[in-house]
Amino acid sequence: MATGIKDKVAIIGMGCTEFGEHWDKSPEDLMATAFEEALADAGIARDQIGAAWMGNALDDINVGNSALPLAHALRLKTIPVSRVENMCATGTEALRAATYAVAAGAVDIAVAVGVEKLKDTGYGGLPLRTKGLANDLWLPYGSAPGTFAQLAGAYAAKHGVEAGDLKRAMAHVSWKSHQNGAENAKAHLRKAVDIETILKAPMIADPLGLFDCCGVSDGAACVIVTTPDIAKGLGIANPVTVKAIQVCASHGWEMGYGEWDGASVRNTQVASQRAYAEAGIAPGDLSLTEVHDCFSVTELVTMEDLGLSAEGRAIFDVLDGRYDRGGALPCQTDGGLKCFGHPVGASGLRMAYEVYAQLLGRAGSRQLAKVDFGLTHNLGGQPANSVAAVSILGRLN
Amino acid sequence: MAGSQRGIARISGYLPLLRLDRAAAAKALRFSGLGGRGAGYRSVAGWDEDAFTLATEAARGTLVGSYPTQLIFASTSAPFIERSHAGVMIDALALPRTTRTQDVAGSRRCGLSALLDALLGRGDTLVAAGESRPAKAGNPFHFSFGDGGAAALVSDDAPARLIGHASLSHDLVDLYTSREHPTPYSYEERFVKDTATRGIIVPTIKAALADAGVAASDISQCVIIEPLAGMARDVAKLTGITAPNHAADLSAQAGDLGAAHPLFALALALDAAKPGDKVLVAGFGSGCDALVFDVAGQVPGAADTKAVLSQGLVFADYTRFLSLTGALSLDWGVRSEFEQKAQATVLERNGRDTIGFIGGRDAAGNVQFPKSRIPIRPDADGPEPLEDVRLADLTGTLVSVTADRLNFTPDPPFWFGLVQFENGARVMMELTDADARGFAVGDRLTMRLRIKSHDKRRGFRTWFWKAAPLARPEMEG
Repeated sequence: MATGIKDKVAIIGMGCTEFGEHWDKSPEDLMATAFEEALADAGIARDQIGAAWMGNALDDINVGNSALPLAHALRLKTIPVSRVENMCATGTEALRAATYAVAAGAVDIAVAVGVEKLKDTGYGGLPLRTKGLANDLWLPYGSAPGTFAQLAGAYAAKHGVEAGDLKRAMAHVSWKSHQNGAENAKAHLRKAVDIETILKAPMIADPLGLFDCCGVSDGAACVIVTTPDIAKGLGIANPVTVKAIQVCASHGWEMGYGEWDGASVRNTQVASQRAYAEAGIAPGDLSLTEVHDCFSVTELVTMEDLGLSAEGRAIFDVLDGRYDRGGALPCQTDGGLKCFGHPVGASGLRMAYEVYAQLLGRAGSRQLAKVDFGLTHNLGGQPANSVAAVSILGRLN
Repeated sequence: MAGSQRGIARISGYLPLLRLDRAAAAKALRFSGLGGRGAGYRSVAGWDEDAFTLATEAARGTLVGSYPTQLIFASTSAPFIERSHAGVMIDALALPRTTRTQDVAGSRRCGLSALLDALLGRGDTLVAAGESRPAKAGNPFHFSFGDGGAAALVSDDAPARLIGHASLSHDLVDLYTSREHPTPYSYEERFVKDTATRGIIVPTIKAALADAGVAASDISQCVIIEPLAGMARDVAKLTGITAPNHAADLSAQAGDLGAAHPLFALALALDAAKPGDKVLVAGFGSGCDALVFDVAGQVPGAADTKAVLSQGLVFADYTRFLSLTGALSLDWGVRSEFEQKAQATVLERNGRDTIGFIGGRDAAGNVQFPKSRIPIRPDADGPEPLEDVRLADLTGTLVSVTADRLNFTPDPPFWFGLVQFENGARVMMELTDADARGFAVGDRLTMRLRIKSHDKRRGFRTWFWKAAPLARPEMEG
């Protein structure tokens, strides 16, 4: 009988680069920078690391396949180094791999690094690649905003929401993240934006305007994990621990079976329910969330899928400020994907970086008063065909 | 021909949604003195349509529960040189691969020549013609051409019976296109009019009338292809035919459809004909074929083809017209560089089910696309044999949708969404033929065969089905 991951693994160090347009930095530079911060935070020596995982979603953009780029960048000598990829859930997958290795007793200390170098594509937005596969013969070449925009119309149709009301709630989601991003020195977009500007922005994929879409960034984030006992031995009496990590992947149901209404993401629902059970908490126990706000409507729907808003009520909770930094359950205190940025493979670890900082009281002007549990949520792919990853972090005691 | 009932059993015409208002668009050329008189409409293929898709859409209108033993594709603007479009079309139409196929080309008469061969041949034969002919901006043909398809199913028991015919081969170079010059190069109009009328068209028509044993005055509807506008008047004068010429009407309302023109206009003529009427069709291009039909009754598909003429979306944007017809190559930026290479091995494995839009019905009756070893049904727990189900001829309902303005498409925006079929199948699909309203959740949709990927670098393309509004807007006036 599986007993879950709760409190079996401690996070002893984290690092994260500034996210943004790093024209002057290579992916190796970014990985090394994030790692050095994490290493210093953990207070361990490089040769104490027993295994490493590299999370990178788009290997064809100046990173390369395999985990060799990480092994080279950090000069990791002879230890097992592996690459994981699960679209936008990649960062959390890297954390999961390192966490499981420690929990299994395979290694004492493991490191996970997520990295992406999106600004080497030569244009904005995520790249599009076809590979001559069978799916390329029929699947639409929709962009990321295009695939997520589908949520909006289906949500509005299901709940009888006027398009204008949904648009205003979506705008509030982005407004809130810009407010938070403005106070984060590492965020890609650090400027507050007013609601009218958001509402009037050029359309990208109806009804998503420019400000409904997250930043596309370069960046890396890193986590070092070990057992709580080893953490204590390093002088960390009450370390941050992993309470749960759950992943749920589509098997074709949403896109191929005539049941899903297109207004929610089942993988988020399932992964979060499993995560709450693994952590032994209820949604109401959370102090903050860092969710996959690749697009404003995604965050809005995710609030329902995580069980934080009742079905069909997220637009009211959003507009009431429930998820603002001063609200009952702050979301994206670091600016989220929207403003911290979205270097795909790094994003899951960036979310953990903010929860870790909030748990340790290191979040500066963004620091919340009382932080017991924080949730991270990654959503890879598209609502109709996704991978959802949910983690819950807290303190050991 | 006496005694034979072989003739046209069904007929169909297809036009793209878009119709260029020639007069309005020609204003953009006013500075140059080019653009012609600019009247009527020109049907314009969407970015995802070509001669093959237009012909296939027309062919769909002729297939009602029957399999022809032969399929002939006719076009002078087919996308491939070495790759049989008829061979792809039997997959798109889900016809047996034992169907005999051939592509014909060589002149814009090829569609009618193929029809004549089918009428003189044996077995149910489907002739499907399509054109989307390029022309240079400023060339009169750029406005006078139209894009479209037409198809006729020939069988031994048909309401429009062939009663006479004649043919003349004559290498009159009124215009030509070649590998080196793929857009039309034409010669002096008076030369063409005089030579084609007196030397080619009129004698062929007279010979066909004689073969049918009918007088010119017996012809009640006609289709006379005019290499240049106004020639039919001279032909009428010299042959004595006074019947309305549906080829000219089609040119005015949609343009010269090349190889598809005689077949499409024949559908219009058959729609106008009454039982007992005699109908003449004369096609031109490197000679002439003239056919005379005796109409015993309504030809299925003729009325629908007539309706197609007045359904469409009028536009007057000359720059968009230039772009859609390939006369202007816009720089779409880096996003348009994305790789679209198709693999022959994948086409071999999946091509027939994809272009045929063949899904599978599982043991519980649910239909899915694409097929899979283990069905998509949630309670399926192992492999099940799936029964083929064609989705192309079904309607669907839109579950989710967006107009994507980020991704490259040659005619933005890129509409796509989740389409639900009543049999349970659900497919994420590209949407096409958006009208001014666009698409919304709950819209009812019909399926259209379109270009899926166009690998310009390697000169290859694939086709798949896209969902379009169930009905087209009626054109005003």
